[in-house]
This record gives sequence, C-alpha cells and structure tokens, in this order.
Amino acid sequence: MSRVVLKIVGAQGQGVNSIGEICAKGLKRAGYCVFGYREYMSLIKGGHSCHQLDVSDRRIGSSETKVNILVALNHHGLNKNVGEVKDRGIIIHQTPQWEFPPDASDDLRKRNVIVLYLPSEDILKKIKGKAILGNMLIASAVWSLLGRDADDLKKLVREQFERKGEELVQMNFRAIDEGFTYTESIRVGLGGGRIGEPWFDNAHHRRLSAAAPADTGNLPPSNPKWKDHMLITGSQAMGLGLIRGGCRFYAGYPMTPASPLLTFIANVQNDTGMVVKQAEDEITAAQMMSGAMYMGTRAATGTSGGGFDLMTETISLNGIVENPSVFILAQRPGPGTGLPTWTAQGDLLLAIGSAHGEFARCVMSVSDAQDCFDLMPEAFNIAEEFQTPVIVMTDKHIAEGLFTQERFDQEKTKIRRGNLITDPKQLKKLKSSDRYDPEAANGISPRWLPGAEAATYCAQGDEHDAEGAVNETAKNAVAQMEKRMKKMKALERMLPEPVLWKMENEKWKMKNDDSKLDLLVVSWGSNKGVILDVLKEMKETMGYLHYTYLWPMKTDRLQSLMKKAKKTVLVECNAQGQLGMVIKMASGIDIKDRILKFDGRPFYCDELSSLLSAASAIRHP
Amino acid sequence: MIMPIPLENNGPTMQDYRCSAQCTWCDGCGDYGIWTAVKRALVELRIAPNQVCLCFDVGCHGNGSDKLTGYRFHGLHGRVIPFAAGAKLGNMKLPVIAFGGDGASFSEGIGHFVHGVRSNYPITFILHNNANYGLTLGQASALTLQGQKMNSSPNGIPEHTLNSMDLVFALEPTFVARGFSGDIPQLTKIFKAAIEHQQHGFAFVDVLQACPTYNYFATHEYLLGKCYDANAEGHDPRCEAPKARALAMDTSKKIATGILYQREDVPNFYDRLKPRQGKKTALVEEVKEFDVEEFMKKLA
Repeated sequence: MSRVVLKIVGAQGQGVNSIGEICAKGLKRAGYCVFGYREYMSLIKGGHSCHQLDVSDRRIGSSETKVNILVALNHHGLNKNVGEVKDRGIIIHQTPQWEFPPDASDDLRKRNVIVLYLPSEDILKKIKGKAILGNMLIASAVWSLLGRDADDLKKLVREQFERKGEELVQMNFRAIDEGFTYTESIRVGLGGGRIGEPWFDNAHHRRLSAAAPADTGNLPPSNPKWKDHMLITGSQAMGLGLIRGGCRFYAGYPMTPASPLLTFIANVQNDTGMVVKQAEDEITAAQMMSGAMYMGTRAATGTSGGGFDLMTETISLNGIVENPSVFILAQRPGPGTGLPTWTAQGDLLLAIGSAHGEFARCVMSVSDAQDCFDLMPEAFNIAEEFQTPVIVMTDKHIAEGLFTQERFDQEKTKIRRGNLITDPKQLKKLKSSDRYDPEAANGISPRWLPGAEAATYCAQGDEHDAEGAVNETAKNAVAQMEKRMKKMKALERMLPEPVLWKMENEKWKMKNDDSKLDLLVVSWGSNKGVILDVLKEMKETMGYLHYTYLWPMKTDRLQSLMKKAKKTVLVECNAQGQLGMVIKMASGIDIKDRILKFDGRPFYCDELSSLLSAASAIRHP
Repeated sequence: MIMPIPLENNGPTMQDYRCSAQCTWCDGCGDYGIWTAVKRALVELRIAPNQVCLCFDVGCHGNGSDKLTGYRFHGLHGRVIPFAAGAKLGNMKLPVIAFGGDGASFSEGIGHFVHGVRSNYPITFILHNNANYGLTLGQASALTLQGQKMNSSPNGIPEHTLNSMDLVFALEPTFVARGFSGDIPQLTKIFKAAIEHQQHGFAFVDVLQACPTYNYFATHEYLLGKCYDANAEGHDPRCEAPKARALAMDTSKKIATGILYQREDVPNFYDRLKPRQGKKTALVEEVKEFDVEEFMKKLA
C-alpha cells in the first residue's frame, strides 16, 4: 500500500496542530484517506509536540515510524526528529543559519535527504503579517511540495476565516501566495525541476545530493470516494454517538484523554440542548450521571484511569440499585499520573474488576471512529436492558486520533430501553415489590421512573427486598444476589462473539466461518487499525480476531479458531497481556505468543509488521 | 397549634406516606421529628408519594429511606447532593429533596456541599445535624465541639469545630433555614418553604437534632431551651446577607431558628443553562434518536 507520511513538529502552542489540521483537511478534500496521530507533552506551551499525517488512496488506520516530509517549526525538531526522515525525504524548516551537527549532516547526505530553509520571518516582515500567519505560510509551502493547487488551500482558508472578516482572509491568501512563490523559486533555481527531481543549492537551502530524486511522497492518484468523508477524532465520533443515542446529560471532570469528549459535547450544547456539567470532581460527575439516569433520561460520564478510580464506588452502587449507567474510560499509561498525554491499554483489568462487591456489568471497547459512533447508543441500550453499569473503554490513540470516516449511517441507531414501563395502564398494575422481584426472568425486573403514576419503591444501596426495603436476612441476600447475577448470564448470552477479520480479494471481510489460518492475531481496542493495515500486506491466510465486548468474556469462537490456526498471537498495549489474562481466567486457555508494548506509543505499522512476521515464524515444540 | 392537614379526599394524606417497615432509630432520636415533618410538609403541599424524589445519604437518617413511601434513593456516604442534583436536572418537573447527616455532609461530602450551594441547584437539602457520626457508633464529626470526648477520640477532638453557618453564607446561598427536631410544626413550615424554594435554587435547612445515645452536649433539653423562632420575633429572611449571617452564626446565648435568609432574584442552575432556554420538556422526555446530520456536515 502506498503511504505518504507528513510530520509537523515544534513547540506546543507554535501551530503544530493548526498546520496539521489544514493539511489533513486539504488532502482529504483532494481525495485521500488521512490518519492523524498527535504526540505532545503534559504542558501548555513549549515542550515538543508532533502531528503526523499518514496519507494514502486506500483505507489507512495507523502511523509509520518513518516520514517523507518533516516540517520542523523550531530547531529542537531538527535535532530530535531528523532520524525519522526516510531516505530521499525532505526536511523543511525555518531556523536561520541552521547547521546540523557533522554526524547528522553526513547521515542526511548519505541518505539523500533534502533540507529546505523557509525564511518565514523575512517573508512575514515583507507582507507585514503577524507571527501566527507563519502557520499558513509553512502549510502552503508543504502544500506546494505535495504538488497540490493553491486554490484548494485558499478555498479552505475562506471557509475557515470568512466569518472573521475579509481582511484576515486576504492576509492568509498573501501568505499562501508567498509559500508557493518560495517553492517555485526553488524550482526555478533547480532549473524548473519538479518536486521529486534533483535540486540544487541556493542561498537558503542546501542540496545534500544531486544523485537521487527526492521522495516527497509523490502521492498516488487520488480516490474521489474520500472527498465526502469526514475528518473526525475518536472523541468527536464518540460525542456524536452519545448524542445520536439520546444522551441528554453529560458530566465530566477534565482529564486527558477524556477531556476532548467533554469539550466537544460542551461546544455543541447550544445545538443539542443537552445539559453539560463540568463537575467539581469525578465522584460528582459519576453521581450526577447516576441521578439523571435514575430519573430516566440518558446520561454519561467520562474520565481516565485516575478519575475512574474515584468513580468506582458509584459503579458498585449502580450495581446494587440496578441503575443503568454509562462510564467512559479513556486510557492513558499509569500507574499514578503516569504518562498523561500518551496512550495505553493498561486498564482492562481495572474496568472488569473495579468496584467492591459482585454485580453484573458490561465492559466494551471502541476501536476507531466508526465504533465510537456505533457503540455509544449500544452502551445505553445494554445499560437500560440489563439495568446495570456499562463501561466503554477507549484510549488516547483513539480519542485524539484523526480518522477519515464515511458519514455515519444514522438509520442503524435504534434505541432500546428494555423492561422500562411507561404505559399508564401497566404502571397502575405495578406493585412496589415488582421493582426488585427476585423471580423476574433473567433477573431483569420491571423498571419505572420517578414521577410515574404507580406504586413507589426505593432504589436501595443497602441489600434490600423486592421493593427496596433494607433486608439483612440470609435468604434475601442470596435471592437478590442471584437475581443480579442472572443478568450477567443473560448478558453473556446476548453479547456477540468476537469478530474475525480476513482479507478477501484485497478487501477486509468480517467472517463467520472458521477456516484454517496460518496466523491468528487476537487483540482489542485501538490496535485494530494497525493490525488491519499490517495484515493487508501479508498473506490472506492470516486473520484478526477483534474483541469489542470484553466482559462478560466469550471465548467459544476464539477456541474454535485457535484449534485451526497454526499460530495465535496476542497483541496488546500493556505489560501483562491483560486480554490474555482475562481469556485465561474465563477459559483456561493461555495464548503464549504475545506482542506487548507499553511505552506510551501505539504500535506503528512497520514496527508491528516485523514483530508479527517474526512471531509467525517461531515454532513452539 | 392547629395542623392544617387537608381532610378532603382529593389530596394525599399522611396515610399515603405510611410504610410497612418499622422505624429502627433509638428512642428519643431526632429523626422521628424530621421524618414526621417531612411527610406533613409534602402532604400540606399536596405532593403525592409518586410526585416526589427523596434522596438519602448514608447514616442514621438514611435508615429512614424505607420508612416512608415516595420514589426514594439511598446511596453512598457523602454523595447525596450530586446524585439529587443530577436527578433534578433529569426531570425538572419533580421536586427533589436530599437528606444528609453532618458527618457525611461536612467531611466526606463537603466538596459536594460547597459546590451544591454555589451552583444553586434547584433542590432542597435537609441536614440532619446531630453533631456526630451516630450510625458508626458516635465518632466526632466536623461539627462536634472541640475537646469533646467521642468514640475514637478518647482525649477529646483536637480539631476546632467547623462553623457550618459561616461556611454556608460564604457560598452566597439563596435559602438558609434552621430548625429543631423537637418542633415539628415549625419544621413543617420550614420544609414547605424549602421545597417551594426549589424553583429559585438550593434550599439549605439545618435541622438541629437530638442524638440521645451519643450527643451529651447538645441534648433535646438543651436545644429546647436555646432555640427560638426568629421569624416570630420579627426576623425578615429577605434581609441583607450579613445580617442573616450574624444571626445564624451567633449561637452563644440563643439559637435562632426559622427561615433565616432567602432571596428569589438569583436564577437557579438550570435556568442559567443556555441550551435549556425556552425548553418546555424535561431531559427525561427527550430520550430519542437525535439527528446529527448537521454536525457531520461540518466535519466533512
């Protein structure tokens, strides 16, 4: 698969994201699939941040470790990221009189990397532009390097800045023209050569080799199908899923990487009419969500590991009062404050094992923008059908990842509210003791809402009898525990088995049959994108088993596939292989081959490709 | 005093709030008085059990969650205020009353209390204030007198006592009242006003109550002797906040009870929410598939 990689690096607050965003949007509009990956540090200004765009004419859901074009907004990027540039790649920077250390310089020369200096300060002085305009200047230089048309960029600029006035639009246009003039001047200096052909030295940039053409990532031919797609982060997709699913209340407390969801939901509140509450802490957020759900609306809360720890007592409470509730757990590496702005899958055991006592719960994980949208209404449906807490896991890689995503099919969303009684005639027939009736089928007793014209009950956090009165007898304790645990069994029966993905005729298919496989990869969450990208390049006799529903754990499909697979490999972004541990706990099966990563970074496709190739070659006696 | 309980059939009666579960509080516990006054207030306001949401914290008072009818919730220690606020925001059409003890509300849940008052959530909060942790067998709360010997504080508590009224007034409340569990008619009157105040925001009622088992310093007799009805003596709750604050804080000679402070000119939390302006429905009535087409367009 042809892939072009563009990476913008610089200090936080320097414009790394805005340059990345405008390039991503332009490329998508031009007919490319873009996957965006951001790295940044836990501080507001300064630090070192990156926005990487992997671009292709085909579906792409991962990042590569090597880049074609490196845009360095400051000299730190020139030092730190220089090794990531591919042979014959391009570095574009704006640091006057920059000299690489001799070692790096030699290396770049050997690898035929071209280094371009964009004299941003001089150009901005000339057009009397503010420093912020430097972002547009460098974006347009990149745009030109990619062989794109200036008018496309101008169209985007007009869209973005029109409401701020024509003057600003025209200033940006001037910056774009200057960016193009700059690259054009280089081309002229090169004897009119196109990008991708040998370039020569001039006063500002240096030719490191005339021998080989630059690999600017000459983009493959575009594919118009991407043009109408959205560019959407996982958090935005999750927000849309929540809204689509009838969520009317969202409470949260800022914590990376759950904050972007809170921000998105808050920013659209005037259009949705939702109540959005930034609470004083995560306990408050969890309690407010629970109160709103008890009253009968749909509400959610979201946080990361540390905040989730604080919410766990409330999860347990919702277990015993059988209150539908939705908790979003956006993972980052722990323990403690850990790596606040990086990614991990280290909280699976937390989600499954958190909160005191035993009760039914559902744990699911999103994997990409599509999942984020589809699973949120489903989380509410399961919460209401089983009257119990649902934990939806995501991670920084999804929450802040940028996906090229087709418009969501809204017709697929169906709201199911389970055994919720709203019909006035039925309500009149209810007795208080119907609420927690231990004899209810599958343990799912009728639920009706405060305010309903019916017999009342107590949502009782102490062990209680059928109507919610405190009851400490042994017999009742057993009856109510069994009632609640029956819901877990029913939930397990209802949940789908994990899905097997296989390539067929160069397309990904979800397969129901258990054909023989040379390699079976088992994973969950954000790893799906990179695993599919990697397996696409490998033989068709490889399959990927993706776990969306993680608790209750189902292993029948896995067991049957493992019997027929020559080799099974577990892939996870944590140190213990937590999915493997849960599988073993549920089935006794131990997946011995494990590829684990826990450095805060996601798997990169070239990295995982070699790890999987090596793993598939190992034979166990 | 004649209790104005409606005798006609078209409103709820005290009988409607009756429950089969037997009370488990100690003899002489102040909870009996509060429990009775709450039911009276609801009946007098003609609020039927299915038209109210009663949220209980954990503590002795919480053991009352199954001693009356109504849509009730009995949750976690210290957390009742955010739960009740979430419930109310979910359905603004239903009165929501939260109950909590001084242990939970001024220690574990003090953050919720502070932000509850500050946020001016449209709920009523009734504080069962017996100045100790009764249910866990008589430990000191933040409102126990300094130096008092309590369970787990055999040498007397070293911390100074938190002045709860000073704290409340620092949070710019819109309704502050104080009652005494021994005066059910006055409590009923206060509770009615506090429930009606929900339309304006957070109504805080501090109920001084006897704890015959663990509180030897502020007994029923002590409170009976010190409490007086400030409203009956001419105190106007719509006075300036500093005046009400001074009255509430000074308990050295006498303890002022009644509605100490009230203002109705500050919008409650919900009324401040721009997305809810002009909405006739409650959130609970809005659960349906929401069209996100416009948002998707903007992301293309």
